[in-house]
Amino acid sequence: MRCGDYKENYIKDEEIFQSRFVKFWLALFFIFLIVFPFIANAHMLYVSNIIGFAVIGAVGLNLLTGFTGQISLGHAAFVGVGAYASAILITRLGISFWLSIPLAGLVSALAGMIIGIPSLRVKGLYLCIATLAAQFIFGFIFVHWESMTKGITGIHIPPPQIGGFQFSTEKDFYWITLVFVVLGVGYARNLVRSKMGRAFVAIRDRDLAAEIIGINLFRYKLSAFAISSFYAGVSGALWVSFLKVVTPDHFPFTLCIQYLAMVIVGGLGSVIGSIFGAIFMTLIPEVLNVMAENAKNYMPGMEHLLIPFKDVVFGFLIVSFLIFEPRGLAEIWNRIKKFFTLWPFSY
Amino acid sequence: MKKIGFFVLGFILFLGPFSIAMAQQTPTICAIHPFTGRFAFAGIEGSAAMQDVVDMANEAGGINGKKIQYYWADGEYKDDVGIAAFKRLYAQYNPQIMFGQSTGMTKALGPEIKTRYKVLYSAYTMTSEAANPKENPYLFLAAPTYAEQFAVLLKYIVKEKPGANVAFFYSDTEFGREPIAAGREMCKKMGLKLVAEEVSQVGGVDITTQVLDMKAKKVDYCIFQGYVSNPIAAVIKQSKDYGLNAKFMGTFWSTELQLLKELGPLAEEYTGVTAYSFYFQEDVPMIKKIREWTQKKYPKVEYRSQSYMENFATTLLYVECFKRADKMKGGFTGDNLVKALQSIKNFDVGGLMPPITIKDNSIPVGRVYRGNSKTVKFDPISDWIRLD
Amino acid sequence: MDFSILIQVIVAGLATGGVYGLIALGFVLIYKATSVLNLAMGEFMTLGAFICFTALTIVHVPFWIAFAITVIFAILLGIAIEPLILRPLIGEPIISVIMVTIGLGAILRGLMYMIWNPTYRAFPQIFPPKPFNLGFAVVPSGLFWGFVFAVITTVLFIFIFKFSRTGVAMRATANDQQAALSMGVSVKKVFALSWSFGAIAAVIGGIVIGNISGINIYMGDVGLAVLSVIILGGLDSIGGAILGGFIVGILQNLAGLYIDPLVGGGAKDVAPFFIVLIILMIRPYGLFGKVIIERV
Repeated sequence: MRCGDYKENYIKDEEIFQSRFVKFWLALFFIFLIVFPFIANAHMLYVSNIIGFAVIGAVGLNLLTGFTGQISLGHAAFVGVGAYASAILITRLGISFWLSIPLAGLVSALAGMIIGIPSLRVKGLYLCIATLAAQFIFGFIFVHWESMTKGITGIHIPPPQIGGFQFSTEKDFYWITLVFVVLGVGYARNLVRSKMGRAFVAIRDRDLAAEIIGINLFRYKLSAFAISSFYAGVSGALWVSFLKVVTPDHFPFTLCIQYLAMVIVGGLGSVIGSIFGAIFMTLIPEVLNVMAENAKNYMPGMEHLLIPFKDVVFGFLIVSFLIFEPRGLAEIWNRIKKFFTLWPFSY
Repeated sequence: MKKIGFFVLGFILFLGPFSIAMAQQTPTICAIHPFTGRFAFAGIEGSAAMQDVVDMANEAGGINGKKIQYYWADGEYKDDVGIAAFKRLYAQYNPQIMFGQSTGMTKALGPEIKTRYKVLYSAYTMTSEAANPKENPYLFLAAPTYAEQFAVLLKYIVKEKPGANVAFFYSDTEFGREPIAAGREMCKKMGLKLVAEEVSQVGGVDITTQVLDMKAKKVDYCIFQGYVSNPIAAVIKQSKDYGLNAKFMGTFWSTELQLLKELGPLAEEYTGVTAYSFYFQEDVPMIKKIREWTQKKYPKVEYRSQSYMENFATTLLYVECFKRADKMKGGFTGDNLVKALQSIKNFDVGGLMPPITIKDNSIPVGRVYRGNSKTVKFDPISDWIRLD
Repeated sequence: MDFSILIQVIVAGLATGGVYGLIALGFVLIYKATSVLNLAMGEFMTLGAFICFTALTIVHVPFWIAFAITVIFAILLGIAIEPLILRPLIGEPIISVIMVTIGLGAILRGLMYMIWNPTYRAFPQIFPPKPFNLGFAVVPSGLFWGFVFAVITTVLFIFIFKFSRTGVAMRATANDQQAALSMGVSVKKVFALSWSFGAIAAVIGGIVIGNISGINIYMGDVGLAVLSVIILGGLDSIGGAILGGFIVGILQNLAGLYIDPLVGGGAKDVAPFFIVLIILMIRPYGLFGKVIIERV
């Protein structure tokens, strides 16, 4: 039972997995993730892949909004930039999938930096709406720059391959997604306990004070935008390689809202919160859909009322989560952990 | 442990083909409808239509005694949700025929349907990509493609006023832009002058610049694409205010009663093309049948829109394909259903459409209707125009 | 250069800008007192349009009574939201409150779907359909009356804020909540009232837009374009909202006239956002927003 803080040096304090208990359960979880594709059907694998992409995107957004405090309403645009960059690199320049993913992330990071430039002067909600401007401007570019993006017809993308093996089903792609999610989450978690991560948090809490103690605001804000957009770009590139098609209709404003919801409901400023948020926001609509479909077996004739009720339930869940736990799912998780750390003496 | 594992595996492998064979014996249709989202009005009507046709067919004995099963899911008009629903329904019910909710979903699933799922497939779309039997034989449309609808309208314009000035007014979406390239080609071929192309968001509040541009270019005919109701009504009303004397036409999704109600006294200004008879055309035998059924089962429903008619026609074709495939060796497989589809020639649907012949996996017929402000209905101003 | 078309386009832009300004007003009224960006504004608009529609078509009352019913409903909505949504979230980061408004929007959308189904409907004719002829330009009836409503509402609210006790109380709360509390201002009531004011502006905007382009439960998407208006005008300036609306309306139309033919359409909708980015680089708090001077 850990009921005190007995760390003897900073290295031990900053450890990500602080007890053997945690390491054991994490290993078990990884085994589950590896066994999962062999026991799940195509639908569950499809949803898992989507959750994976959402996790990567949400972690990126959390780095920008949760850790650095810059509210961004333009995340979907960067997902789109990465997606299109990857599609164009694969189909026009013949670059392989494996190289195109990081390149797409870099293109997206560049776009993010350009949009981050106003952040030097503009703050708070005004910056929020400036990023919204980015969302619409990029949306316009996706549709109208037809020579690159083929406009609304979209680009068809061949599935990724190693040698002769093609990753064309959900089960195959799951492995790719798993690798990228682990890499992304691992890097983010390490980033936030590094110097850059501390700088981000300082900017969020008191940016003037941060500047005074020597943190170059502009440089770190731009880095935050760049890293966040890199994640978004990778998420987008993976997503459209999975779907094998990319069109401008894939990146509407509602996608921005969805990512923001993932980050807020999951917990601002917490990497594991982004994971929870991504799972929550992707699974809940699926579960509600399945419930609405099966409800017609129990309440025939009512199904047409139950379908819009999904929206009501969904909104209600978000509202109640935020009222009862404004710090999100991550905070609930922390409370559960603390409870069990000192159980049966947790009061 | 290993032995039991092998036994279980063997049992499942044995059951596998057996269960698939059993599943194949039940004709099953699964559909993804956009019950929420911008096309919710179409989803509700479309699902009702499929349910009605399946019920009518089952009442008449099903497919040689086998009752057709019909399952649906809500795709929310979002591609991700729709594709997830598609895979979920496929995994659960193993259907032979499926129906999708949008152009986006159709494009995303097209390649997989061809190689993996092999189900007969149609959707709430009229994109030319779904009417390409060489690229994807499993996809078809029980309707003319948007490009074919444009052809019907342009043919009508050429008859009325050869060499007229034409404008395309479309929304900045896939739905809106899809037939425009083909439309431009057709104008050139038919000797019509495409003088203006106006773009606006769906639901744009101010379309002054577009209307003034059309007035400056002396547009005679303006064809809308990609809208359901607004801003078409706003454009027509404001064109009167600004003195633009053009005739307005539209394709399938806007040729609906709700547009006439919005236009009020200006209903005569709108001419539309659609491939199905309307609910108020009571002299058509199939419409009479639909009216009787609706009044019996849904006494509160007063009207069935064209989305209903489109899905009705699609499901009639589905049922007919099932019947024909049943006589083939192998029963209800995707390939047999495709063969059955291609064999449909002059199939009588009681006046809902002219006798159906599938050409290039679509049905290139249309009829032009004009709005009537006094009766608030559409009057046919042409006969069925065939494009073959 | 055809001046008559240019003038016509500017006049129409002014009128549309009025409609935008009305919705922007709703955003600003709520932000001014409570610092919350209410992203459910689109749904408030739609709800207002539907209530008025129901009053006109099902209960068959004359327009002025329907209008009054809608306004009363808006007031009640504001009063109901304050204890349910705002009070539990006092002290939480502002982004949580914004997320809650998004959730609220989803709830309202679902409820509207269940009560009125999703068919597109025509709004009954409430204004005379003849266009307003200025001699050198013509303004279509829907836009003209929208402009009139927008101007009247803005002037009304400016007067309320400047000269009435309630208005002064609201400005005090926006400035410094603690000081206002110690002066006897009921901050709870001020919050409820500001949401009611915002809702009133939204429902009027809904009625106007419903009149122009028909109603359906998804018409609230227009609310997004209005975000560029409030940034232009400044998040907490009432006059800025309507002026920003005019500017955006005119600039949109100019973009439609000159730029659309060059890029094949669509420039009209993205132009306001370009403008926003440029303005923000020069004036980071919008044209008329309160500049926050940070001291160390």
